[in-house]
Order: sequence, then structure tokens, then C-alpha cells
Amino acid sequence: MKHFFYILIVLLSFILSEAQNRTLFEEGNTLYNEGKYAEAIDKYMAILETDKHSAELYFNLGNAHYRLNNVAPSIYYFEKAKLLDPNDRDIENNLAFANNMTIDAIDNIPEVGFSKFIKTITHSLNFDAWAKIAVVLAFLYVVLVLLYYLSYSSGKKRIAFVSSVICLLSLCIVLAFAFNKFELDKKNNPAIVFARESQVKTEPNLRSEEAFRLHEGTKVQVIDTVNNWKKIKLLDGKTGWIDNEDIKLLKAF
Amino acid sequence: MRFIKHIVFLFIITTTVASAQVKFEAKVSKEKLGVNERLRIDFEMNKDGDNFNPPGFNGFTVIGGPNQSVSNSWINGVRTYKKTYSYFLAPKSRGNFTIGQATIEIEGEIYKTTPIKVEVTAAIDKPKDPNDPDYVASNNIHLVAEVSNSNPYLNEAINVVYKLYVAPTTGVDNWREIDIPRYDDFWSQNIDTKGQRVQNGTYNGEEYRYLVLRKTVLYPQRTGRLNIEPLSLNVSVQVPTNRRDIFGSRLMTRVNRTVSAGNRTINVKSLPEKGKPADFSGAVGDFSFKVTASKTELDATESLQAKVEVRGKGNLKLFKLPKLTLPSSLEVYEPEHEENVSTTTSGMQGSISDTYTIVPQYKGKYPLSSVSFSYFDVKTKTYKRLSSDEIIINVLDGPVNTSSETTTPSSNTIKQTVVSNNNQFAFIKTNTDLVTTKTSYFFKSTLFWSLLLAPFLAIPLVVLVRRKKAIRDADVTANKIRKADRLARKYLKGAKKQLGKKEAFYEALEKALHNYLKAKLRIETSDLSKDRIQNLLLERNVENEVVNNFIAIFENCELARYTPITNVTMQEDYEKAAKTISLIDKQAR
Repeated sequence: MKHFFYILIVLLSFILSEAQNRTLFEEGNTLYNEGKYAEAIDKYMAILETDKHSAELYFNLGNAHYRLNNVAPSIYYFEKAKLLDPNDRDIENNLAFANNMTIDAIDNIPEVGFSKFIKTITHSLNFDAWAKIAVVLAFLYVVLVLLYYLSYSSGKKRIAFVSSVICLLSLCIVLAFAFNKFELDKKNNPAIVFARESQVKTEPNLRSEEAFRLHEGTKVQVIDTVNNWKKIKLLDGKTGWIDNEDIKLLKAF
Repeated sequence: MRFIKHIVFLFIITTTVASAQVKFEAKVSKEKLGVNERLRIDFEMNKDGDNFNPPGFNGFTVIGGPNQSVSNSWINGVRTYKKTYSYFLAPKSRGNFTIGQATIEIEGEIYKTTPIKVEVTAAIDKPKDPNDPDYVASNNIHLVAEVSNSNPYLNEAINVVYKLYVAPTTGVDNWREIDIPRYDDFWSQNIDTKGQRVQNGTYNGEEYRYLVLRKTVLYPQRTGRLNIEPLSLNVSVQVPTNRRDIFGSRLMTRVNRTVSAGNRTINVKSLPEKGKPADFSGAVGDFSFKVTASKTELDATESLQAKVEVRGKGNLKLFKLPKLTLPSSLEVYEPEHEENVSTTTSGMQGSISDTYTIVPQYKGKYPLSSVSFSYFDVKTKTYKRLSSDEIIINVLDGPVNTSSETTTPSSNTIKQTVVSNNNQFAFIKTNTDLVTTKTSYFFKSTLFWSLLLAPFLAIPLVVLVRRKKAIRDADVTANKIRKADRLARKYLKGAKKQLGKKEAFYEALEKALHNYLKAKLRIETSDLSKDRIQNLLLERNVENEVVNNFIAIFENCELARYTPITNVTMQEDYEKAAKTISLIDKQAR
């Protein structure tokens, strides 16, 4: 009885907080539509504080920051939204608008050929989806193998055998993709420069020479950390060390 | 008479002797002189001679001479003759020198002078001749360089003013600059002084007239002690003399004189290191700073001008303006530099500006981030930083950066096509499904691994089960036993449930046995007497003992309803029934 009571309370509070977040989100949207962007941001941030998020929430936050001309935060939240929902056209579009505000021009070196092909396939699903497909394929394979084992007619046996082999092969491929995607995601640690102007050093200390300068809103890849310095890599392949304070990691969630 | 004769004789003698004595002497103007003074030496003789041979003037340079002078005078019928060779000598150095003997030949005999010792001492102040025009000129003409600040900061403006002071009694005809100073280590600019009028002023407490010859503004470019070279002038001066003309006014003589303003040393302080901003570009003075844009709302491919301007007083031409940082997606041309600076004695003032021409290519908002400009304020001796406001350029119409396809509305048709404008900044989303931020991933979790590998365990399991089944199927008798056991269990299932409850158990047990017989022997319930059961069973080759057991159980069932029976007996009866059924099943045909 007591347990039941606890469960009920937890469930109720869960439903209540869900409802509260919904109203917060709608209030935020209303404020945004009235042009009160800063207040809208406060509402959206209140939702984030309850450890709840969604691509739409980040998208709206990015929009509000864009309206307030906050370069780095708007790009930051658009990128976050894009992480959660990589295929959304609106996010892509508004991110392009926000990127127009940045100062640094960095050339992207495009990947070509087979590696690009592999990458596109790997990135078409997240690793959890790949894992689920792998599990399904494993079940299917076992069923087919058993069918082969248990069936008596040679025709059935042949079909079961061939399809089980195909199943096993695709299982291996899917698993490989899952691992590849997982590794790529682990390596992919983007961050946004928040400092108005930041000196990127050649070594992780203040004495070393300046390698180049970055400005607010530029997206970088973090590849290493030493104390409060982060080694970053730009899209065009330049590397350097930047102060922790100057950037904000996208994968903080 | 004899006495008179004597006197006459004596007179004659003396005169002849006197006229006969030849004198040749050397005389110096002074025996002790300063090294800066001059010496005159005269060689005098009272009879004309030939072959004058001057001595070697060791330690002196002959600057004048030999000058010859002859004087003949008759006084009371007595003739005096004097011939002089004079030299002007300047000592070469300090010390004691001896001027050697000079020789001359007079009436066939050679006469010599005595050597003279001269002592040359250190330079002595020359007594000035107040009537010497040069001296007068030097006292009445002064060239002065006035420096406004001899201890300025680096890049702080100072000025040098050259003034020519002329005493009221003298006049200046003309001047010519001999040596114009070059201001190394300074940025300098001359200020035009043409048309300057003569002004009255005092110099050393005396009334003077003065003229400003030259004004220069200097900006020290190096710290430390810097030298300002002197300005030298050649001035023609009108100096009054003691002579007067017939009207009684003084006659003037003209003297050329070189005047120079002495070297001046400026001690330039470096700017303080404390609080020096990182973006300090050397601006010293008092400035205002602003960044303006000609327009903030425009269409793509229109142009706008952004102007970075510094206005004020200071070394405007000597520092660089801060650069404007612009978003990379804007097309920017090289800035046009414009200087509107006038230089006065207090330094440069005016404004300098960089004008950037910007052409946005794509639609969107572009912030021109704030630019900061820092300078050193000489008055407060501190660094100051001015920041401009951020300007947002709003490009209202134009293509979007990412999508290359631009919507081109057909203009020549009358009907206006409705163009879906998907190149807009998208509105916020109104619907959302919030999920927790603390996501746990399925991939690489235990569940994932077990789900992936568990199916594979099923394969050997199935194979094993199937093998066992095959073996069991092969064993016929065991199969039969198993079948009988299963049958007994099936019928006794109801009874087993009631185990422990006496009446219900035995009722169920009896019912189960009946049912079994009905199924096995195909008899109706009405026929179910013990004898009949016995006969039927025996007919089917069931052993006598087993049949008796079966009947005994039946009897037990009836009996048990009226007698107290423990759980243990109940269990025994149940097992017995099961065994019997199984045996009957085995034996019956």
C-alpha cells in the first residue's frame, strides 16, 4: 500500500512537471511572438533546468538569441538542435543565418570518394538504431538457422540456408556501422567560441606564441584537453590551444 | 775763450758720436700673454740697413707682417731716423718661448738683436672694446631657441620657436640661414612664419625687439636624451659708431655676424608600462572616437560606408586606426584613409578616418562588432580606452547564403506568381516532445549484448533438445511407461488439488478412477459395479493382484468418508492409485 502511494506520488509529480514544462514552452513562444526575446529565453531556460530538452526547444532558444544579436549563443543552440535532429530543414536554414554573423571565414575541406560514401551511410542513423537493427538481424539469423535445421524438404532448407547467410553478413556490416558511428560520435566533440576574440596558442600555456585568432561563433572540434586548455581543430585542419573559458562544448548534455 | 772752444769741441764730439751709434733692437708688445691673444714684435733700427733676416718664430704663427715703416724727423735741425719691421704673432700653444735673433747689415757691419723670452699663459678674457662694432653687434643681437617642454612624453607634441632679438639701437638688414637644423628622432613640421611682424619684448631684462624666425612642432619618436641641432644665421647688422655726421646723428657701420641658437637637449620620457592596453597603437593626446555606418538597413548588393574616425588633438598622423572586424560573409574593400589635420604650435588637431565600403551579398543580419581605440592622455597621465557601439547591418532582401537557388519571379507576365519564400528566417516551433537530457544509450549496454548473443545460444539448445527427443522416440517400452504415467497423472490431477481435505479428496479420487475406467474400458457409469470392473479388467489380461489393488482403492474411498484419516494415508492412497492406474494401463490390451 505504502509502495503504491510512493509510486503514485512520483507519477503525479512527473505528470505535473510535464504539464508545467508544456506551459513554460507555450509561454516562451508567446513572448517570442510578442518580440520579448529575452523573457522568452528565460522561459526556455527554465525548461532546460528541469533536465528536459528537445530539438525544438534548442531551436527556439537559438531563434531568440539570433533576434537579440547574440552571435555565439544563437549558433550554439542551433547546433545543439541540429545534434538532436540532424535532418530538420528549419534548423539548417536558421543556422545558416546565424553563421552569417560570424567573423571568421574557414574553408571546409570536403571529403571525397569512398570514405565520404561510408560516412554518409554511417551518419544516416544513430548508433542506437544501428544496434537495434543488429539485434533484429541476430534474431532473424537464429530463426533461419533453426528453420534450416528443422525443416525436412530440401527446397525449404536451401532457401533458409541462403537467407541465413545473407542475414549473418548484413549483421556483421550493421555491427561495423554501429561501432564506426559510435567511434565517430565519440571523436566528434564540437564547441562554439564564446569569447568575442580569442587568441589560439601554439602550446597550452600563456607564454607560447599566438597561432591564430578566433572570433565569436566559430565552430571548432575539441581533440585534446590539458588543464584548462583545449586543443582545437578547425574545419580547414588548423590546430591550436584555446582557453577553456573561451569556448563552450556542444555535448555538455 | 778756450772754455768756449772746449764746449764747441765737446758738442761736436757728442753729436758725431751720437750720430754715429747704430741701434738695432727687438721689442715685443708684451712678454706675457694668453694663448688667445696676439703678440706684436717690432725690430727697430736707427740707420737704414740691408738684408734684414727675421728669426724663426718657433711656437708662433705669423699672422701679419713683416710690415715696414720708416720715419724721418727733423727736430731743431737734428734728424732722427727710424725703420721698423713689425710682425703679428699668434701663439700656437701655452708655454715659454724664445724669439731668436734677427740680423741686419748696416754700413757693412752685421747687427743682431737679443733673444726675447715670451710666456704664453692660458686664455684670458679679452678686454672688450666697447666701440668695436663686432663686439657691439654680439651684445645686441641674440638668436634664441625656445622649447615649450624639455621633458615631454614620447609622441607628445612640443614646439621650438626661434626668435631673433635685436636691441633697439641696432638694426638688422638681412639674414641668411647657414645651417638649418635637422630633427633626427623627431617627427617635425614647420609652421609658416611669413608675414610675422617685429614685436617688442624683453631679453635678460632689457628692452628688445624680436622677430619669430621659425616655428617647428616636434613629436619625439624615441625616448631618452635627444639633441636639437642649432640654427645658425648670418646676419648683417647695422651698428652705431662714435662718429657722427654733420647733423649730429651717429653714423652706422655694417657688420656681418654669425649667430646661432645653442644646442638644446630634450629628455623624452617613455610612456608608462603600467596599464598599457594591449591594443595601444601609440596615440598620445586627447581624442574622441566613433564608428558610423551610412545606413543600417539595405538590400543585398547595395553598398554602405562604415567610417572609423578619431578626432581630437595629438599625434594624429603618427598612429594607425583600429581595424574594423567584419563578418566574413560581407564583401569589404580596402579602407580609404582620410586625414583632415591642421598643425599649430600646440600640435596636430583635426580628424583622421578610415572609410570602408561594404557590400553585403546575402540576406541576414551582420553585426559590426564594437571597435576599441586606446590612447595615452597626457593631461591625466593615464591610458584611456574608447569603444564604439555595435552596429547591426540588416540586409532585408537578397539571396540566402546556403541555398544557391534563388527564386526569380517572372516579371514579364502580368499575373504575379506566388513565390513561396523559403529563404526566410524560420519561425520558432510551436510543438515539442520534451525528453530527459540524461539519456542512456542502448548500444554497448548489457541489454544490447545479451539480446545480440542470446539468440545464438538457442541454436545449440535446439539441437540438443532435438537429439534427446530422437533418442527417446527410439525407445518403445519406455515410451509406453511414460504414456501410462502421463495418463494416470492426467486423471489424478483433480484429486491432487484436493490433497489434505479428506472428503473432497476421496470424492475426487473416486471420480478420477471412474473416469479412467470409462475411458479405458468404455463402460457407462450405470454399469459400474466392482464385480463388473473386476471381470472386465481380468478379460483384458490385467494381473489379478493389480485388479485387487484397484478394487481396494475403490473401497478405501467409500470407507474414508466415515473414518478419520490422516494426511499421510491420503498421500499413500494417492500414490497407490497412480501406480495402479499406470500398471493397468501397461497390462491391459
